[in-house]
Amino acid sequence: MTPTVAPIDFRSNAAAAVQDSLLRAALRNATDTFAAKRAQAAACVPLEELREAASGIRSEVLGNLSSYLDRFIERASRAGAQVHRAADSAAARETIFSILKQHRVDKVVKAKSMVSEEIHLNDYLIANGIRVVETDLGEYIIQLASEQPSHIIVPAIHKDRRQVGRLFAEKLSCEYSEDPAQLTKVAQQTLRREFLSAAAGISGANFAVAESGSVVLFTNEGNGRMCTTLPRLHIVVLSIEKIIPSLADLPTFIRLLPRSATGQAITSYLSVITGPRKLGDRTGAEELHIVFVDNGRSSIVAGEYRDMLKCIRCGACLNACPVYRTVGGHVYGATYPGPMGIILSVLLEGMAKAHPLLDATTLCGACGEVCPVKVPLPDLLRRLRERRVEEGFTPAIERAGIAAFGRAASLGGLFTLGRSMARVLWPLMEKLIDPQTLGRLPKPAERSFQRRVR
Amino acid sequence: MTRDETIDRFLENVAAVAAETARVRGRAGVDRMIADLIGGDSVVYCPRLTELERSIALPEDRVTDDYTSASVCVEEVFAGIAETGSLVSTSAGGRAVQGGLVPQHHIALIATDRIVETLDHFFSQWGDGPPTNITLETGPSRTADIELTLTIGVHGPGRLSVIAVEE
Ligand code: SF4
Repeated sequence: MTPTVAPIDFRSNAAAAVQDSLLRAALRNATDTFAAKRAQAAACVPLEELREAASGIRSEVLGNLSSYLDRFIERASRAGAQVHRAADSAAARETIFSILKQHRVDKVVKAKSMVSEEIHLNDYLIANGIRVVETDLGEYIIQLASEQPSHIIVPAIHKDRRQVGRLFAEKLSCEYSEDPAQLTKVAQQTLRREFLSAAAGISGANFAVAESGSVVLFTNEGNGRMCTTLPRLHIVVLSIEKIIPSLADLPTFIRLLPRSATGQAITSYLSVITGPRKLGDRTGAEELHIVFVDNGRSSIVAGEYRDMLKCIRCGACLNACPVYRTVGGHVYGATYPGPMGIILSVLLEGMAKAHPLLDATTLCGACGEVCPVKVPLPDLLRRLRERRVEEGFTPAIERAGIAAFGRAASLGGLFTLGRSMARVLWPLMEKLIDPQTLGRLPKPAERSFQRRVR
Repeated sequence: MTRDETIDRFLENVAAVAAETARVRGRAGVDRMIADLIGGDSVVYCPRLTELERSIALPEDRVTDDYTSASVCVEEVFAGIAETGSLVSTSAGGRAVQGGLVPQHHIALIATDRIVETLDHFFSQWGDGPPTNITLETGPSRTADIELTLTIGVHGPGRLSVIAVEE
């Protein structure tokens, strides 16, 4: 235990969030819509078969990650890409900055990348004098507002059209509008100039293909395609576990990822990029760099929480989670929110900092049911909660006293909720959550909890 | 699936993602259709890399080699995928794949014998040597980032027209 690390104050954050009625309405709308669309889209494919296949592919890769990585690096290099490996966030930031500096780049256009949030890339580049322009509409909105993403698929889920309208009017000196189509057009026009004048593009990647050395990007707006084809220099930043064996495996993930994320059968665009522009090509950056971020993943993959790294970042577990649906992404105070975020935060940032997030689950099991790659989320959450106790971190409830426990338990069956969670949120959740979700909350008993009560 | 069923499925799925579709037999109908689609004041980019592209009659005074200043891109795509209604462009043969991205209107011609049934059929052919860029395009550019309100046409084309050409 490192007492110097301040734990994330999930409880106060959450208490504030549930007071925000605008946020709650936006969250309800978004998570309901996505969950319904996902269910609809999932009904059109042999879902269980696909999940099984995808889970198998991801497990195979994670079981042999270093040899898959080596194969990827060999193939990508053969195709002309320059591959870098960064042990931690600082190394990744420095690697990216030094590439930009070498090319005397003063502005980069960026396509959405969660791992770039994880390594706090933007702040670092900006502090070093580089202008960073986020080009995904949601990311652009929160960048203008100097905020953090609240959802991994729709980062500005917490803002309504009036807030976006006021923000654009103020920051872009355009006329106030609350028409999403008009606001989108303003952003498009502003960003088009940035695309055409940027010397470098930075993107994430949804997958890296070992056999061919390709990176794969799914996008809807077209900004990803712009960032990866218009500037001379393209830097891909991704975490090491994003590998799939071959392009022949890609269809399984195409069938699962957009369906699980937004309910689409496929995103508007899907790019497979293999190396930089070659002789005779008229597409592609002249120089392609691929930066693999480890940040502790090599040791996670060797341990009992390996399955978490199967995650393909679809966001379905966020939309299914009764806690996320009520409080939204910001209260987690971490890069990745929702059920997968709790687990990743504890694994990546340490128990000392992230342990309060383990209260942000009801252990209802909904996340595990929707996960397209069968990450055993409820099981991992349960194991981490046990580990928290073993490591001597006190759940918030015990600091708050036994009264809270009495209150939660008296609500019949509710003691299966994370206890401090129940204390803070239950009275509100009761009002907010639809009966269907409410009905499933107490379903699986929380073993670790009951064991401790006995 | 028979050839015809595959083509029908492809066009149904293209239409389902908010793109316009047409099916023509022989090249004769193509010029007329394109003339109708591009309208009076557009600036047209056409890569002229394939035989079909070279055979299209375009208003020469409004044709440009610079896709960043074009309002329409007319091109033949590499393949179609019936399962998803996707058009595929690749960098092979010196094509600027982004040429179909930057102009506001993308008119894609596809030879019906280039339409495959599933994603698997398409992705199993590359092994370890895919071209620099393979892009699947499924419907126009879209976003729902503001209040989940679907908006068509963000950074990519707001309008996508697909003409399946049967030789
Ligand atoms: S854990 Fe599963 S459901 Fe959650 S984001 Fe990852 S892949 Fe999606």
